[in-house]
Amino acid sequence: MFDSPATLVEALDRLPGGEARGFRFLTTERTERYYPWEALREEAYRRAAVLAATGLEKGDTVALVCPENHEFVLTFLGASVGGFVPVPIFPGATFKASEHYVDTLEHIVKAARARVLVCHSKNVEVIEALRRREGAAGLTVLVADRDFQGAPPPFSRPTITPDDLCFLQFTSGSTNRPKGVAIRHRNLVANTTSFLGPSGLARTEEDVGVSWLPLFHDMGLIGFVLGTLIVELPVVLFQTSTFVRMPRLWLELITKHRGTITYAPNFAYDLLTKRVTEKDLAALDLSSLRVAGCGAEPIRARTLRDFAAKFARCGFDPRALLPSYGMAESCLAITFHQRGTEMVVDRVDPAELQRGRAAPSDAPDATELVSCGVPFPGHELAIVDEAGRPLPERVVGQILSRGPSVNDGYFENPEATAESFRGGWLHSGDLGYRADGNLYVCGRVKDLIIVNGANHYPQDIEWVVGDLEGVRRGNVAAFSVMRDGLEQLVIAAEGNSSDAEHLRVEIARLVSETFGLTPADVAICPVGALPKTSSGKAQRAKTKALYEARELEQHR
Amino acid sequence: MTRQELIGLFRTMATEIAEKDFSKVSEDAKIAELGIDSLGMLELVGRMEQELGVQIPDERLVGIQSVKQLLDLVQAEAE
Repeated sequence: MFDSPATLVEALDRLPGGEARGFRFLTTERTERYYPWEALREEAYRRAAVLAATGLEKGDTVALVCPENHEFVLTFLGASVGGFVPVPIFPGATFKASEHYVDTLEHIVKAARARVLVCHSKNVEVIEALRRREGAAGLTVLVADRDFQGAPPPFSRPTITPDDLCFLQFTSGSTNRPKGVAIRHRNLVANTTSFLGPSGLARTEEDVGVSWLPLFHDMGLIGFVLGTLIVELPVVLFQTSTFVRMPRLWLELITKHRGTITYAPNFAYDLLTKRVTEKDLAALDLSSLRVAGCGAEPIRARTLRDFAAKFARCGFDPRALLPSYGMAESCLAITFHQRGTEMVVDRVDPAELQRGRAAPSDAPDATELVSCGVPFPGHELAIVDEAGRPLPERVVGQILSRGPSVNDGYFENPEATAESFRGGWLHSGDLGYRADGNLYVCGRVKDLIIVNGANHYPQDIEWVVGDLEGVRRGNVAAFSVMRDGLEQLVIAAEGNSSDAEHLRVEIARLVSETFGLTPADVAICPVGALPKTSSGKAQRAKTKALYEARELEQHR
Repeated sequence: MTRQELIGLFRTMATEIAEKDFSKVSEDAKIAELGIDSLGMLELVGRMEQELGVQIPDERLVGIQSVKQLLDLVQAEAE
């Protein structure tokens, strides 16, 4: 029986020495950097000392905006050893309109009350732009690949307890009102030992994790860095931007390092099925892979089936597919499909599902939903109606979760905390139902758009589109629709019919440049066609309902 | 590689990635308007990198909007 550490720092301290196991990084230049755990620990202690010398005290936050994975991990762990609270932030402004990106940085730095920020020589320019902003006045900036060298200053390590804050996860909330999930050491240990423990992936001595997931997001950070340190699992990490440029490298690294555990959002499985050629297949051996997890966005049964069929020739075992459900407010994982078993697919009547009932159907047009499995021991799941009453199986309601993984709220944000954490339950904002005990996720109460595993807040998109000439602010609605099992962005905006064609192109261009997203459709509607609230703001849910029913009046 | 060959390469690769016919796309076109999102754009860059044996750092891609800007960047790296 594995005896769990109580904190991340205790986990780091007790990692075995020697060269055999550790973190293998592929840098953005695609060169390999290997850090055995011992070297990782030593460097974390050095960085803790340097950070402490800036005047930081235990519990202070440190913003971490670092595009290079090994520098990110070493600095994150350095902050942890020092008793500081790292705040990972999306590091790359690639293709993003930089003003909007600097806005995001400024809002997060302010909300996290960070006085120190660590970046990299690769993104120091954008951080300089941030420093000129009012909200970032007085910010101390360290450059990770430059400022941690030389002999460390004297440093006395603080005592870290399970109740101390471990880090802030700023993946929820819109640009203007970011929310930092406050994760304590005890939450992190509870969640990682659940999903990597006997009821989850059941880590073995032979396991090797392989991941390209971004480290500013829970799935990459907790799944493949913090969790793997807690359960002593060696990993190979490469950069998200390298994956996107060379998708098949993901499977090549699994082949090369005999990877056993990997994870990705649905879109990545689709991408590999499409991109890998017959010639590439011959060089791949996926027989070592025992867990190919899927999460972070809606999961499509066909995507996973097609992936399994395509890669069967490379020894891929379909029982490795592991659909799961979770969110940052519960650290990472809430439910997991039973490892090593075939995925479970529920076929239901689409019209009944619209009415909130998951009625089994054999019809060819039945909607397929993938089971995300069951909660971990010590954790509970509930499906409730709008009044908070528990619902029976096969009835759709909001998904609630409670247990030791669930955090106690957002950092210094009692209003948002009161909304999501009520009566001891985390209100996920997601809709789902249970059948035979398994969780099926089928929609969302909250206004959130998830495309390619990335969360986008409609208010951010509406705000940017509302700035365009010819569009009235407040007369824009951004929402997502499911098309062929995939989530896609639709924007509806009011405008004159003479401008309609021009506006469609301009809106798509602007959204693409600012958010890296291509809308599936832009609807230009006559003035007054969008349903509004009493304060004159476009109502997303009603607009979406009209759009889906093909009743939204549009210029064509 | 000549400019003509480079645009030819772009057209072939963009067609494969976006699954649309880009055989007549001009250099003045905005990449976003072709329906290629940020993921598609990075994949396109990755393919050109492999074809030409170059590496283009992420930070150099900030602000690239038109096909011409992208080809200028790739050409400068290749020389």
